[in-house]
Amino acid sequence: MSIEAIARLRGVAKRYRLGRTHASLRDAASGVFERLRQGRKGDSSPHLWALKGIDLELLRGRSLGLIGPNGGGKTTALRILAGITPPTEGAVETRGRVAAMIQLGTGFHPDLTGRENVFLYGAILGLSAAEIRSKFDRIVDFSGLARFLDTPLKRYSSGMYVRLGFSVAAHVEPDLLLIDEVLAVGDASFRQRCAERIAELKERDTSIVFVSHNLHLVQSVCDEAAFLDQGEIRAHGPVDDVVLAYRRWLRDADRPRAPVDDDALPGERSGLLDILDVEVESSAESTERGWIAGSDSVIFRVYYRARGPIARPNFVLRILTSDGTVACALWTRDDPRWEATLEGSGGVAICVDPIQLAGGIYSVEARLEGEIKGLSLALGYSGRFEVRGVDGHDSEGAFVPRMAWVRNEPAAGR
Amino acid sequence: MSEPSLRRPSLYACARRLWRFRGLLALWTERELRVRYKQTFLGAAWAVIQPTALMVVFTLISSYLQRFPTQGAPFPLFYYAALLPWTFFTTSLAFGSTSLINNLDLVTKAAFPREILPLASIGAALFDFAVAATVFVALQVWYRQPPTMELFWLPLLILIQVAIAAGLGLLTSAIVVWYRDTRFVVPVGLQLLLFLTPILYPLEVVPERIRAWVMLNPIACVTETYRRVTLYGESPDPTHLGTAILSALVLAGCGYWVFKRLEPTFADRI
Repeated sequence: MSIEAIARLRGVAKRYRLGRTHASLRDAASGVFERLRQGRKGDSSPHLWALKGIDLELLRGRSLGLIGPNGGGKTTALRILAGITPPTEGAVETRGRVAAMIQLGTGFHPDLTGRENVFLYGAILGLSAAEIRSKFDRIVDFSGLARFLDTPLKRYSSGMYVRLGFSVAAHVEPDLLLIDEVLAVGDASFRQRCAERIAELKERDTSIVFVSHNLHLVQSVCDEAAFLDQGEIRAHGPVDDVVLAYRRWLRDADRPRAPVDDDALPGERSGLLDILDVEVESSAESTERGWIAGSDSVIFRVYYRARGPIARPNFVLRILTSDGTVACALWTRDDPRWEATLEGSGGVAICVDPIQLAGGIYSVEARLEGEIKGLSLALGYSGRFEVRGVDGHDSEGAFVPRMAWVRNEPAAGR
Repeated sequence: MSEPSLRRPSLYACARRLWRFRGLLALWTERELRVRYKQTFLGAAWAVIQPTALMVVFTLISSYLQRFPTQGAPFPLFYYAALLPWTFFTTSLAFGSTSLINNLDLVTKAAFPREILPLASIGAALFDFAVAATVFVALQVWYRQPPTMELFWLPLLILIQVAIAAGLGLLTSAIVVWYRDTRFVVPVGLQLLLFLTPILYPLEVVPERIRAWVMLNPIACVTETYRRVTLYGESPDPTHLGTAILSALVLAGCGYWVFKRLEPTFADRI
């Protein structure tokens, strides 16, 4: 195996414009007038540097995990490597075929059958028709969806959808595979096969860049990792060291305060407080097996950095189902004993025992809310996690109460 | 190492990359057709109904309101000959101009030559054109129009119309990403253009002094040449054919160039 660079980022920076983007000709025209009236001030529209000049190099056959809080720049880095969007500054070089799994099944059409969609998705990922034909049987085998090949995709469950998507993407056999959080869905046995397939690709010298909030998964898949925060690389090196550095960073209450950036997202970042990460913690065995049982107790941790003292902060955690429905909302203000003043960095946690969620994929959204309900001052999300029914069977809905059936005795006299 | 990001690739390099993705272009064209035909009750008949309906209306207008001289060609044939390429342009542009914004997911989450989306709309329109052409053949048989040697001009004409549609489709789809409201301009513009193009009326009724201006419209050159070649067995007017070829080259070239210049901004802009 020759040691050669398969991807290289040099001084890569990416700026996004916020607010007015002239979505219509009308806005653009009025923008011109505005600029004329105000005199030439150059580009004054608010912007955000999602990446602030990063350098990375990935050698053939190596796999790199990108970790860090939301908004740290992980996905932006991945999209730049994939060639979906160009960097504002710096250079990106990749060698060979690049396949990106940013969202599985991008380009799938619900009216077309599974078979038609396999060909289409393969072509989007850069395979020729002949290549897809030669790999078709393996793709179908891997997905385990042979029976549903001639069914329109709209009749597929979301799990089947993801399985078909991964099966195609995993058989592209690229030189560089980019994966963004896509393994958080699907059932455990399929996820296991996905992880095996990724290991197999690595054996064959495929380089991998893997973005995930699941640090255990990153540690099992990747050789090295880079910890991205606020568009900068905070740590880069062997995966275990970087994950450790990130965990310390998350928990370190005495972390020096980061400089206030003026390019904050209005509404989402008030400058008052940043939500750095949201973690879902359960028993050691549930971490081991990769899913949480409905009867487990779960601790949700919100890591924050406050820019000044905040008395009685009003946090709300929303547990969201995979389609975005709120399964449950947990408010600090509903707790009369909640009397905290936040300062600097730290974490708040809530313990839910037992979790009592029905089987499914969930994520947690954390917000710091102001006086006005619904106006959030800070926002953060957890990675997705899977819950399985208490007795191994999954139930409908989102909530499994503790219950017992009784036979109703007929009332006397009837 | 390939593709240093800040150096803009040449059009030739872009075309080579597009060639590598030709399989996707074919599949995406097929997808456009399948989806369109699966979703509409009429299916493939839709391709025929559009030009036929206009042909019927124009024939009625011409029969009862204003008898336009057609040099002996029956009205249905006279109109269908021009409406056939016209419908190709309208379908190409209607679907082509919105092809990028209607496939948001693909543009923001997958890396492939984005020109495939508008070009596939034109491919699908070409298929519709072929379906609609069968009606034209049937009309010619019905009116006992013997085929002439001039029909050998058709492959060139089709090539020209595809190049014009591709150029316009690439241009409009890119502009619509930048300014969303322009997508409503395209159908209105086409509606106006239908009456500025000598389709309802023959070119001969246009006053001599403005005829040259009317024929600056490359689409008019194409529809007019269709009539000459298929109805009258005459070879194309060299000025018309020249205008058409020149504008096809310019539109296709400029359209592709503008599209590729704007392409890097699509994912952030859309």
